[in-house]
Amino acid sequence: MSATLATRGLGDKLTGLFWRKPNLLLMLLLMPPLIWLGLVYLGSLAALLVQSFYSIDEFSGVVVPEFTLRTYGELFRAQNMDIILRTLMMSASVTIGCAVLAFPIAYFAARYARGPWKAAFYLGVMLPLWSSYLVKIYAWKLILAKEGIIGWAAGATGTTPILEAVLSIPGIGGNSLSTSFLGTWMVFVYVWLPYMILPMQASLERVPQSMLEASADLGASRAQTFRTVVLPLALPGVIAGSIFTFSLTMGDYIIPQIVGTSARFIGLAVYQLQGTAGNIPLAAAFAVVPIVIMVIYLMLAKRAGAFDAL
Amino acid sequence: MKTIKLMGSTALSVLLALGPVAAQVTSLGAPEGQVNIVAWPGYIERGETDATFDWVTKFEAASGCKVNVKTANTSDEMVALMNEGGFDLVTASGDASLRLVAGKRVQPINIDLIPSWSTVDERLKTASWHTVGGVHYGVPYMWGPNVLMYNTEVFKEAPTSWNVVFEEMTLPDGQSNKGRVQAYDGPIHVADAAQYLMFHKPDLGITSPYELNDAQYAAALDLLRVQRTLTSRYWHDAFIQMDDFKNEGVVASGSWPFQVNLLKAEGQPIASTIPQEGATGWADTTMMHVDAANPTCSYLWMEHSLSSNLQSDLAVWFGANPSVPAACTDGRGMLDAAGCTANGLDDFEKIRFWTTPVSNCSQGDGACVPYYRWVSDYIGVIGGR
Amino acid sequence: MTAAVEFSNVTRHFGAVRAVDGVDFTIAEGSFFAMLGPSGSGKTTCLRLISGFEKPTGGRIRIFGEDVSEVPPHLRNVNTVFQDYALFPHMNVADNVAYGLMVKGMARAKRMRRAEEMLALVKLDGYGGRKPAQLSGGQRQRVALARALVNEPRVLLLDEPLGALDLKLREAMQDELKALQQRLGITFVFVTHDQHEALSMADQLAVFNEGQIAQIGTPEDIYARPATRFVADFVGSSNVLPPEVTHALGGPLAWASLRPEAMHLHTSEGARLMGEVNSLRYLGGATRVSLRLMAAEGGAEVSVLVPAGQTLPLVGSTVGLGFDQTALHVMERA
Repeated sequence: MSATLATRGLGDKLTGLFWRKPNLLLMLLLMPPLIWLGLVYLGSLAALLVQSFYSIDEFSGVVVPEFTLRTYGELFRAQNMDIILRTLMMSASVTIGCAVLAFPIAYFAARYARGPWKAAFYLGVMLPLWSSYLVKIYAWKLILAKEGIIGWAAGATGTTPILEAVLSIPGIGGNSLSTSFLGTWMVFVYVWLPYMILPMQASLERVPQSMLEASADLGASRAQTFRTVVLPLALPGVIAGSIFTFSLTMGDYIIPQIVGTSARFIGLAVYQLQGTAGNIPLAAAFAVVPIVIMVIYLMLAKRAGAFDAL
Repeated sequence: MKTIKLMGSTALSVLLALGPVAAQVTSLGAPEGQVNIVAWPGYIERGETDATFDWVTKFEAASGCKVNVKTANTSDEMVALMNEGGFDLVTASGDASLRLVAGKRVQPINIDLIPSWSTVDERLKTASWHTVGGVHYGVPYMWGPNVLMYNTEVFKEAPTSWNVVFEEMTLPDGQSNKGRVQAYDGPIHVADAAQYLMFHKPDLGITSPYELNDAQYAAALDLLRVQRTLTSRYWHDAFIQMDDFKNEGVVASGSWPFQVNLLKAEGQPIASTIPQEGATGWADTTMMHVDAANPTCSYLWMEHSLSSNLQSDLAVWFGANPSVPAACTDGRGMLDAAGCTANGLDDFEKIRFWTTPVSNCSQGDGACVPYYRWVSDYIGVIGGR
Repeated sequence: MTAAVEFSNVTRHFGAVRAVDGVDFTIAEGSFFAMLGPSGSGKTTCLRLISGFEKPTGGRIRIFGEDVSEVPPHLRNVNTVFQDYALFPHMNVADNVAYGLMVKGMARAKRMRRAEEMLALVKLDGYGGRKPAQLSGGQRQRVALARALVNEPRVLLLDEPLGALDLKLREAMQDELKALQQRLGITFVFVTHDQHEALSMADQLAVFNEGQIAQIGTPEDIYARPATRFVADFVGSSNVLPPEVTHALGGPLAWASLRPEAMHLHTSEGARLMGEVNSLRYLGGATRVSLRLMAAEGGAEVSVLVPAGQTLPLVGSTVGLGFDQTALHVMERA
């Protein structure tokens, strides 16, 4: 008997230990990511929060490490509110644009595409993600420029008046697509579209065919089925996609730098305030805004029943 | 070129009063074998981008000092790298140099150990952005003006005033300037507006575009709000600006000789001028880290950086002006007198070099609007407020 | 009596697969019609052809005389209870039941009242506020039934509705469904692969095999007088006798069926039929004895059902077989 026991090596003993105490193994496996998540990830988030409660000394320009809400008060100054509202409007309209464009694509892919069509769909959606983000944006700048592809195409097809009419819409228009909010919106929609299509397609794929048949069977037209069955059941996917498009738009500081009117968005303001102005507290306060907005957004989504079908 | 960004540290003036005078090198030893430099992209070329622009290889052979370059894209990055340490030299712009001095990251320079010091432009020898309390903290490297770039097909003759970018008007081609001009996407551009007002509204009493009291500052912002209605996009990246001149129909903007030279080289109908109001500009200085591990090689490089053929080639490469005027005329590099004139050498007096606005200024302690307010207000102006 | 549903030479092909291949039948109004067959036999496809989820490749379908080839599912006055119930998970039970009324535009208060009535009909009153996920399988089944009935269809289609329930519940539901159908008086079309279910509930029964109808008739017809070997085998596991055996038993030279319960065992002496016991299978109420007939009778395999309480033979022993001559059913087709 003891001879048998003596042959057990260290590996066997460890296996035995883990078998007897499975929580130990789980803890060992989870420790590194938890440390990462807890210290590095949440830690830096906490540091950010703390910074936002400091303020900058008006006279010397140095950060005063004392608790104050003054920096948050700064956010309510007119030009800062402009930035927040501008970013919100852009994020919301980009999300709506992405949702409207993505739905038919995702619906086709989820319900009709099979075999090679499915592969072509995935390739088509993912392909833009393989090239550099910056290259895509610079390419769009050229497409949207006054003397760019769209301007040329409008000239060639005699639709220049239509383009000009669109560009003369106050608020979203501008000198050319590449220097207008409309252009910024188009590039945002292009860049984030895959992040809307993929979760949408996944959620649509999970809606059983029999659900649609049941709806039609009970007398619902296609439009009614879409509104009362498909949309509510696909809503978690739409919400997941919108969380991507909404938060990515809110945080982006590259696109509005290259395409648009130079008016600041939150990301750009954070970048400039922490980098060149040395106003880390205000940058931190700005950085907290998207977090707060996302929390409110998720709460509204939950109340609207977006997660009921999960 | 570089995206020059400024740091609003009003702490400067406070710290400067303490007057740091560290010990300086009195004699040179044997070369240490290497020198580590933080520099703007394109400032220290060894022929890798273009074989004809190489001012490193021969230096390495002659001195036995291997040159290691770490490029930085903003003044903040430069300051951060110097704070980290491990570097010997930095090519600091006017807005970074005084911060480095105040932070005691750089040491005084013994000009007796730099034989070429005598060749340095008299106008730069004691410039305020590297000389504090009579002590030299660096060797001038390059400087340049922020010129008015324009399209020669629209302007048959050079515009004589910055008003083409500040006020709505009909350009020589009969069309409005609305949507066809640009401005720099950095708060320091407030100084350009102030300089314009200095000329056109003398009753405001502006003496320096970097020292503005509340009334002067408000007037500058009002001017910038007019400019916002003319500008479809502000520029911050030299290559994007070049693009905009080529395919966005932009015909006039404040710019750097760098873009002007590149566009001209491409055959674009582009020229530049310094209008009657003058111009703002930038001036860079080679400074030495307080704990430089390779002082001898550092001094050898500073001496080399003033050699007229280097200055000449760099000025051509960068569209800037040499700190050594002889480089314009002695024919040892690619530069000639016409090139120097084009880059603004003769306009030194018209140029007001970038400095960080601080609240304690010549108008009195706390009398001026500090830089961080320039930042937030310029954001508001660009946002249409 | 009018025909509720009428199929004339209907086919439905999926590529090379002939799921439904030239089917003709008529379902009388008010009847309980079962479609029975193994999986893949075409019965579910026929149901989906009635509801409109499949379009026929050929032939004609009429519902109450109307040709429905141009009528989409939501415009047909038929409703379906789906195999997986297909309840909408994001709606509560009352909203599920009222769905058909909601899409027709009935006011909320009115349709909620109707839903509550329907829930009472399926004995689920008071469950309206729950989500489908909070119900048991049997309860979900009733909700699906109520939801389909709320539209007052003239034909109710049931696609294996009891398949997911356990035996006891299934039997209870069978009784309820039958009672409900008689009470409402509407036509039920019921798809199942369970022959007991079909036999016990249906007025009329169609047995499907490989896309065609093997036999159509009353449960008694089908059980006692199967038309083909397939029907005999599938409905009630009958003994299928080759022609020579039928002949040896005094019938014509043709295929015949003989129900296991119509046969009995006795001692071997003097028996007309002899067989060797292969195996025994205990079924509770009876024991199924499999035996091989002696060579003289053609050597076929037959099963005999021995009621509980009688002496069972030993495996390997030879026994005599007796049978009721009237139970020997000669099949028209092979």
